[in-house]
Amino acid sequence: MKLNIDGLLVYFPYDYIYPEQYSYMLELKRTLDAKGHGVLEMPSGTGKTISLLSLIVAYQKAFPLEVTKLIYCSRTVPEIEKVVEELRKLMEFYSKQTGESNNFLALALSSRKNLCIHPEVSALRFGKEVDGKCHSLTASYIRAQRHADPDQPVCRFYEEFDSVGRQVPLPAGIYNLDDLKDFGRRKGWCPYYLARYSILHANIVVYSYHYLLDPKIADLVSKELAKKSVVVFDEAHNIDNVCIDSMSVNITRRTLDRCQTNVDTLQNTIQNIKETDAVKLKQEYRRLVEGLKEANVARETDVYLANPVLPDEILQEAVPGTIRTAEHFVGFLRRFLEYLKSRLRVHHVVQESTPQFLKDIFDKVCIDRKPLRFCAERLQSLLRTLEIADIADFSAVTLISNFATLVSTYSQGFTIIIEPFEDRTPTIANPVLHFSCMDPSIAIKPVFQRFQSVIITSGTLSPLDIYPRILDFRPVTMASFTMTLARTCLCPLIVGRGNDQVALSSKFETREDFAVIRNYGNLLLEMSAVVPDGIVAFFTSYVYMENIVASWYEQGILENIQRNKLIFIETPDAAETSMALEKYQEACENGRGAILLSVARGKVSEGIDFVHHFGRAVIMFGVPYVYTQSRILKARLEYLRDQFQIRENDFLTFDAMRHAAQCVGRAIRGKTDYGLMIFADKRYARADKRGKLPRWIQEHINDGSLNLTVDEAVHLSKHFLRQMAQPFKQEDQLGLSLLTLEQLESEEMLQKIAQIAHQT
Amino acid sequence: MGKIGAWSSEQDRCENCVEMLFVRGSGNCVQCDTPLRKSNFRVQLFEDPTVDKEVEIRKKVLKIYNKRDFDFPSLREYNDYLEQVEDMVYNLTNNIDVENTKLRMEQYQRENRDLIQRNKVKLTREQEELEELLLLEQQGNEQRRLELLQEEKRQLQVKRKNKQALLDELEQSKLPATLLLAQHKVRAAQLETQIEQQKQAVKPTNLFSTGIHMRQTVSLQPAPKIEEVLYHYMPLQVETYGPPVPELDQLGRLGYLNHVRAALPQDTAGGYTSALACHRAVQDAFSGMFFMKR
Repeated sequence: MKLNIDGLLVYFPYDYIYPEQYSYMLELKRTLDAKGHGVLEMPSGTGKTISLLSLIVAYQKAFPLEVTKLIYCSRTVPEIEKVVEELRKLMEFYSKQTGESNNFLALALSSRKNLCIHPEVSALRFGKEVDGKCHSLTASYIRAQRHADPDQPVCRFYEEFDSVGRQVPLPAGIYNLDDLKDFGRRKGWCPYYLARYSILHANIVVYSYHYLLDPKIADLVSKELAKKSVVVFDEAHNIDNVCIDSMSVNITRRTLDRCQTNVDTLQNTIQNIKETDAVKLKQEYRRLVEGLKEANVARETDVYLANPVLPDEILQEAVPGTIRTAEHFVGFLRRFLEYLKSRLRVHHVVQESTPQFLKDIFDKVCIDRKPLRFCAERLQSLLRTLEIADIADFSAVTLISNFATLVSTYSQGFTIIIEPFEDRTPTIANPVLHFSCMDPSIAIKPVFQRFQSVIITSGTLSPLDIYPRILDFRPVTMASFTMTLARTCLCPLIVGRGNDQVALSSKFETREDFAVIRNYGNLLLEMSAVVPDGIVAFFTSYVYMENIVASWYEQGILENIQRNKLIFIETPDAAETSMALEKYQEACENGRGAILLSVARGKVSEGIDFVHHFGRAVIMFGVPYVYTQSRILKARLEYLRDQFQIRENDFLTFDAMRHAAQCVGRAIRGKTDYGLMIFADKRYARADKRGKLPRWIQEHINDGSLNLTVDEAVHLSKHFLRQMAQPFKQEDQLGLSLLTLEQLESEEMLQKIAQIAHQT
Repeated sequence: MGKIGAWSSEQDRCENCVEMLFVRGSGNCVQCDTPLRKSNFRVQLFEDPTVDKEVEIRKKVLKIYNKRDFDFPSLREYNDYLEQVEDMVYNLTNNIDVENTKLRMEQYQRENRDLIQRNKVKLTREQEELEELLLLEQQGNEQRRLELLQEEKRQLQVKRKNKQALLDELEQSKLPATLLLAQHKVRAAQLETQIEQQKQAVKPTNLFSTGIHMRQTVSLQPAPKIEEVLYHYMPLQVETYGPPVPELDQLGRLGYLNHVRAALPQDTAGGYTSALACHRAVQDAFSGMFFMKR
């Protein structure tokens, strides 16, 4: 259907539309008009993706000069593929409606592992291996050596692409990962490099967060993307953690040993080159004397995305004299390395700030702050000059040099924690230096600065105002949309007591309490008798799950449950988990019914959907707080309190509730779907916890569903399930939660829609 | 790991041997017969003894070559100087051209005695910055610690006062003790929650770095449902004593908007339209035009 969104003609590839989709598009359009950033929350299963795509594509078509590119960031490969398929549907609709052939280029980009078509390289199992092997076949000097020595193996796909592919742009169309591979095979071009090259002129790019947020990767891939782009972060409820992870560095003894080998190799290579080809080093030296002008010009003319590892100050200056020549730099690295080794020989935990670290390093090994700051850039230059074959081998020294640059650049937002052993195994010495980033805004700042609109969206972003605070940006729109429903298809229940009135809680004091564990068992047992097909149960941690399941086994509860349903368990092992999932689905499919026991923050809670009969009930045992004793977390909480005035408790609760919401949200994946959401902990009934759930769940928690006993919950569930099991046709939804074009355009409906967005 | 000697010979010795060999403070090397001093032996800090040696040499060299960046007319020259220093350290560590280098150092020391003395007390700019940051950090920590201490003291006092009040009351009041105790319990609980709240209350700086106020948001709680007789909207009738004001959506058609500044896209994101402002202005202008004194 064709929609009129605030004066913009939007093609929408379906015959019906949800009212909240319309409202969402309105809000999005305003954000794009204002060229600002937005935070939008809309429940899962209400068609966020297609709304985003159809509006932004329409916007691109209407104002090709205002918005040149859409960068759509998602989390996993299946999600990326799903987005591209939606896009394909949209584009087909466009060409059917307008009769014109499509002139849009849209493509997905993923790692070499997913895109390689080289018969030997693509057979490798791990992503790192594929990257390394690919590099050893395609690096520029390897190819240069081939001119002298034709026996040198190279990748023919890359060769072909390099000689022919760069001249001809990728023809317009929608390319999913498999399409790229097919195209590559047909032409004999390397799909990975083709995709990386093509994103520069593509209209729509779909890839993973890391290509934009991880400074190491962003520098390679996304540096040159146009300023007038719209960036969308989908499923962005975890974006702060992604930012933090991408900036943090962990250094172990093994890293340092590998680094030592790297430095030795560097030294030997320098010796060799000095004997054979001293000119090369001289040239590099001369370039460094001149300074990093090249990079500076590029930054100033605004060609590149800023890189947090390459701070602005160093671009203004030349490399300091202490590390200008290659030997001096290697000596410098050696000293730095020995210093780090000596730091790792601690017997107790050390926590210090970056200035303290810098002072200590100057006292111990006479390393100034300035050369440290240039370390990453200097190493890159050296590696380029030395024409090192396998960059992957040098990951350790690269890591160390990045650490050097970061530690000397940021005096705030980072902390250094050196732990001589892990908390769980205090007898085994395993020293780790955590250089942990506490401020997610550092990693994401270049993105907000560079791109004209950044949209952060997910099904669970409540409370909305915390994201702008921790990411330090100013949104022009913040809105939360509810799900309009023809029938109440979700039923959140807060079970606070057992039948014997014992308060249910996963709090630390009652962790080992048999009464609580037994009541949790009872809850699951009774639910398994009432709920048809699949039940998913989430625990707060693996350890907690193990304890509970063990004592359920002893009490014979498990046996009773198994009379009703089969039981499957998620483990930290990915292969085992996917096996369990497969069997779980099989059991749901053939009517036996099954229970999946899994863990909040685990793989199942984040990426797996349980549509329809795969998840008729989700039970959340306890509140999934993070492990609060970790020093890194403590430091981060302190930082949040001092810098952003976010209270420790607020943040912990926020974090726990967003994970709880993620877990229970697994059950409802659309308007025809239905499911129970059981929060089994009395703490959920408190206003501070409840208030942090997404609005679309909160709306359905009324006073009657707070602090229930197990019996009451079972009673309510029976009632709910019986109601939901009645046939539900599309006609029932029409006009209420599903609209045709005529219905949408009626005055009354437009007024209703205006109320859907809950602006903050 | 034992002790190692610097400068003349870099042998690794265990601590006991060093004590034994150099009882008098100095002695000759057992292998090469060079005279050595006990004080030149140090505890090895690093795994790689060459690094130890290099750091030792570096510290000595830097004591003499302590020019700062402001002693040079340009950054380029400063960098050249730094490289020169680096070269010297490199030579001394790797036993290249040691004699010449030492000579050069001595010469430099003679020539620049004043400057060296002067710079000895001065820190580099970078180090100054670092010191400042450290100071700030320390002050922050100290302040936080003091605040916490004070807070605790205050709470203790309040609690003690409360207890005393109970005792006094028990002494004087004629109410039954159970009632008083119950009252006290309630009061104590209130106090506890109050303290808890205060503990969590951090002094709010309610500005973003951009200068925007934080927390200008509406609570996200769903509005409580009121299940009473529904409120019926009656359009507001205001006697304006003036000609009728055109409706908001009629303004454009009637040409009122022709000379009003069109709303920018930034404005419309917040819900502003030019008709809004115009409508108010027109209302303002029309009201009271026909007003007559009675």
